[in-house]
Amino acid sequence: MAIELKLSRTSRVYRPSEAVEGKIIVKSNSSISHYGIRLNVNGSVNLQVRGGPLGAVESLYGVVKPIPIVRNKTVEVKPSGTISSGTTEIPFSVILRKQGEENLEKFYETFHGANISIQYLLTVDIMRGYLHRSLSSTVEFIVESDKGDLLERPISPEVILFYITQDTQRHPLLPELKSGGFRVTGRMTTECVITDAISGELTVEASAVPIGSIDILLFCVESILLGERIATKTSLIQTTQIADGDVCRNMTLPIYVILPRLLTCPTIFAGPFSIEFKVSIVINFQSKLSKLHSKSDPGTPRLWSAMETLPLELVRAK
Amino acid sequence: MAASMVFRPRNYSAEEKSHSLTRLRANDHPLSTSSSSSHLQVAVVDHGKKDFFDPLRSLDDNGAVSGEALQEVEISSSPGLSSEASVQNSAKEWTSFSRILMQKFPVSKMISVSSMSNAIIKGGKIYEKASTSTHLEELEDPQKFAEEGVKVITRHEYVSRLHELRDEIIRAWRASDRVTTLKLSIKVARLLMDTSVLQFYPTLFVLAMDIMDTVGNMVWERIKWKAEFAEDGNKLYSLPENFEASDICSDAKETCYNWFCKIGAIRELLPRIYLELAILPCWRFLLDRPEDSLQRLVMMTRGLADPLASAYCRLYMAHCMLKLPSCDKGYLVRCVNDIKSLLSWVMLRKEAADGNIIDNKRLLVSLMEPTIEFIMKCIFKDVSQKQVGNILVELELGRNAMELFGNFPCVSIVLHHLLKELPIEVVSSSAVGILHVIECSNDYSFDQCLNYRLLGFRLCETKSRTDILNAVADIVIQVVTQYDSLDEYLKVVEAFLDIILQNQMDNHLNATLEGISKRASSKGTTEDELGSLQSVMVKLLCHCENLEDIFALEHFLEILDVMYGSSRSTVNVHILNMATRSARICDPTTIQLLFEISQALHDDIDFLNVKDEDNQPARLISRFVCMVDYGTEMERHLTFLVECRGAFGSIRGLNETLIHSSNCLAVKALKNGSKNLSFVKSCIAFCEVTLPSISSHTRQLNLYLETAEVALLGGLVSHSDGLINSALGSLQNLDLMDGSLMQADVDGMLSSIQKLCGFLVLVPGNPEVGVTHFAKNILALFNSQSWMKPKMRTKIFSAIISLTATLSQNKLPYHGKVLGNDHLFFGDLSYSHELTLLAKCVLQNLVDAIQQEPSSAVRGRLALEACNCIATSFILTQEISSIYTRLLETAKSCSVPAQLLSVALARKEK
Repeated sequence: MAIELKLSRTSRVYRPSEAVEGKIIVKSNSSISHYGIRLNVNGSVNLQVRGGPLGAVESLYGVVKPIPIVRNKTVEVKPSGTISSGTTEIPFSVILRKQGEENLEKFYETFHGANISIQYLLTVDIMRGYLHRSLSSTVEFIVESDKGDLLERPISPEVILFYITQDTQRHPLLPELKSGGFRVTGRMTTECVITDAISGELTVEASAVPIGSIDILLFCVESILLGERIATKTSLIQTTQIADGDVCRNMTLPIYVILPRLLTCPTIFAGPFSIEFKVSIVINFQSKLSKLHSKSDPGTPRLWSAMETLPLELVRAK
Repeated sequence: MAASMVFRPRNYSAEEKSHSLTRLRANDHPLSTSSSSSHLQVAVVDHGKKDFFDPLRSLDDNGAVSGEALQEVEISSSPGLSSEASVQNSAKEWTSFSRILMQKFPVSKMISVSSMSNAIIKGGKIYEKASTSTHLEELEDPQKFAEEGVKVITRHEYVSRLHELRDEIIRAWRASDRVTTLKLSIKVARLLMDTSVLQFYPTLFVLAMDIMDTVGNMVWERIKWKAEFAEDGNKLYSLPENFEASDICSDAKETCYNWFCKIGAIRELLPRIYLELAILPCWRFLLDRPEDSLQRLVMMTRGLADPLASAYCRLYMAHCMLKLPSCDKGYLVRCVNDIKSLLSWVMLRKEAADGNIIDNKRLLVSLMEPTIEFIMKCIFKDVSQKQVGNILVELELGRNAMELFGNFPCVSIVLHHLLKELPIEVVSSSAVGILHVIECSNDYSFDQCLNYRLLGFRLCETKSRTDILNAVADIVIQVVTQYDSLDEYLKVVEAFLDIILQNQMDNHLNATLEGISKRASSKGTTEDELGSLQSVMVKLLCHCENLEDIFALEHFLEILDVMYGSSRSTVNVHILNMATRSARICDPTTIQLLFEISQALHDDIDFLNVKDEDNQPARLISRFVCMVDYGTEMERHLTFLVECRGAFGSIRGLNETLIHSSNCLAVKALKNGSKNLSFVKSCIAFCEVTLPSISSHTRQLNLYLETAEVALLGGLVSHSDGLINSALGSLQNLDLMDGSLMQADVDGMLSSIQKLCGFLVLVPGNPEVGVTHFAKNILALFNSQSWMKPKMRTKIFSAIISLTATLSQNKLPYHGKVLGNDHLFFGDLSYSHELTLLAKCVLQNLVDAIQQEPSSAVRGRLALEACNCIATSFILTQEISSIYTRLLETAKSCSVPAQLLSVALARKEK
């Protein structure tokens, strides 16, 4: 006996105004009598605080009460009856948001972060009375914002010019870097449509010490309001190398980073929590010292590296 | 008894008159029509002017022809070709290109790899080792791993591990495990980051590319399937060849986009580029202009600082671009520009360091060369003249469409391949501009002189304007004058020599030859230089009409003198070949030079180990000796022959030529008057001395006879007699030899003996030894030779009978200079008696010999032939008649055709 939920879209992506459709597939050697088949939709923001600046006691209560978006919305697909043996497919359709219906919360887009996860689940239950365990199956579907809710796409995406030299660094540098000097300039979009890539360009204008690698680090900053304090967690979600080795000087290199799905979502500033993103451009120079510390966290400033961090706002466009 | 055998009297002049046909005058020569002969002439001349480039002379390092093998592969596809066909075509090109790439660089058995390539080393652990953290560490600092983690692996192991990876990828794909497929593909692509394998890198590239292409195809097919088929396997839709993104269902698009996202998330730059390139055609499912992403990929590749890795990455890009339905050559041009910048950057870096680095850089450039070559080929495939202008401007060489070559320097290796691919019309019209670019592009990525050289070769491909050629030649000659090294000098000069020769730039030619001679004599020549020298000399020889012009060239002989070994021999062969093309060689200086050349050739070649048939030098020397003509200075000529005999002793067959020449000389002397008799004697003496050294019996026999004839012509009867004796003596020795005489030799000998019998008609009989002395000797000789077949004996005996019958006549059919036997022994009874005796004896031998013939068919024929001989030689007395009848019966019993029998019978009746 097996029960399975199959969504109509392989991408499992639905918008709040759309109906989530699919099939309930029951495979059984014998016929099953039941008291009804029900679908249950659940959507919530789950917040969790691990470590961080909080005290030991508070960290015990690390799990903050989840914020519901859709709570136990139940639809009866079939009234009580019998499912014959073999494979049975039962089609279903669940409307997430009825026109005019007041919602608990905004339909945030699905997101799985370190401390914050926004998740939508669809569960099917086949009720079978006391003697039998009820059959159930759950599937996660992904919610993307409704097109109607979106702002017009910004016509000219904001571009930040940046330059990185030995003098812009707030952390100590190797003496040869300090004395030899370097200058890397470029520009990058700071507002980015989530389906597009982060784009920009970068030029190594000068560097006395040979360059080892230039990477674009994408960070996610999750903040949770805990009473009067804000617990913030910054996590590295993707590293993309754009230069490998001591590249030619004065040659424009493209910055092109495709945003990882699920790990990113449109920037959210909600009352109890926020999800933001930022980008660091990290230049690692070739040095003997760097070889000894090969297992370092790439986000941490080091003697042999220079970096520049820029904010990044992600938006969903039409 | 004597009366029983009577020779048939003959009247030769009457017979001749009655037998010969009446003569008619012919107006035309039957074998030639005047028009066709002139045609032939023209064709030959044209052919001579055409330049011949040997395609097999490629792959050496002298630059100009190093890519010839590749060119062969290139089949220029016409624009009308369907895209499918051109894709197939380029796929074929790619296959052969990659094969050549793998063979081009010799790889040692062991390959040292850095730990970057640990997918290769840790064979079994491949699946567990997917965690990104380790890769992060490695890439954080490849240097450290390169220094600490150098490992050695055999080439074989490396290759078989790659094959394993490939199989694993395919297996994972078949098991619908796309994640593993992708992970393994990344692993393979990551191997290309390790350029420390150096010479192995091209091979690694080809193998890895094969895997990338496989993965790319699998992804393409899968997405295409998704676009065409429903989930249950029913075909919903058939994608046209030139589909658009809007034709693709969202599900397929979703899968496709997912692939690009997955690949986009790869941390390292190089595998990310490679994998996106592998599935580059899949952009067509998402975008209508997939080539836009190429623009970005071209730019992204700039982030690869390793010259080798980035050059090969661009090579793969060029390969993948060809899979798109349309592609702008601008991207390739940008690739070349980036390679140029990178090379300049690399060459600039650490320039002051020790020579070892320079060597490494040279190796690096040579490893990068095929990528530049391939991309250039792609750029200049099927381009129009106008496009060429744009390309050159984009390549930062030209100022604008009019001025294709400004004075902008270029990296010389890039320039070299550009020059190789440029359409010939452009080369020809902008030659001076190109020359300036070459002049200002001098770096160690490629020898500057080889670019000059290539320009020379390219200019030879077509007929350029004379003023351009003059300007080019002026500059080039000026440039090479600065060269110290003979090698460089030759490399350039060799390429421009054809232009100099064809345009009669005589002052340049002289300067060039002087330059060569000066450099060669001061420093001597190396093997490499010899090759170029040879080519220069051969070109000179091919261009000049006659040998005197060549020898008149200043410095030609000096240059010839500094050459040695096989190159020298080759040039010598060419000279001799040219010399022997004319009818005769008269000029004594030329003869002396040629003699020395022949001598050098003779000394260089081991004649004993060369087969007769393909011994061209020996043949040429013989022909040269044959053609020498001192005119009236016959004494000098004979001395020359004597010198030749001394100098060319080991050439088989040359002595024959010498004897012929000497005999010709004697005859010529005789024609000039009998006062030269002592000279004729010297000639004959020369022959007599030379003759015993001739190894072939048949030839020796013939030469003896020839000389005997000459001696008799000169009236030197005793010499002639002596020579005939020697000839017979040489036959005497024959049985000492083993019995392995060829049938052809035997036939040749037979006809020689028959000829001797004819000659003996002229030879006056010597009463001291008996007038039939030689005939008797022949008879005795052939009776004593056990190997002699009855058939041959029969024929020789018939010849002797004919000889005796002829000698018995009152007037001989022909006469020599000396008195014939008809005059000497006219009416001498003992003379005719001796002849009759001999004839009788021979006749008996003849009949016996016929009976000994084992084969009945042959026996019958021989009997009839004998009948013929008897009928012409004798009057049919009773005795003869009975012999005749007996022979006829023999013939009859041997079932000879009745027709022949009846003829013979009719003859008897008459």
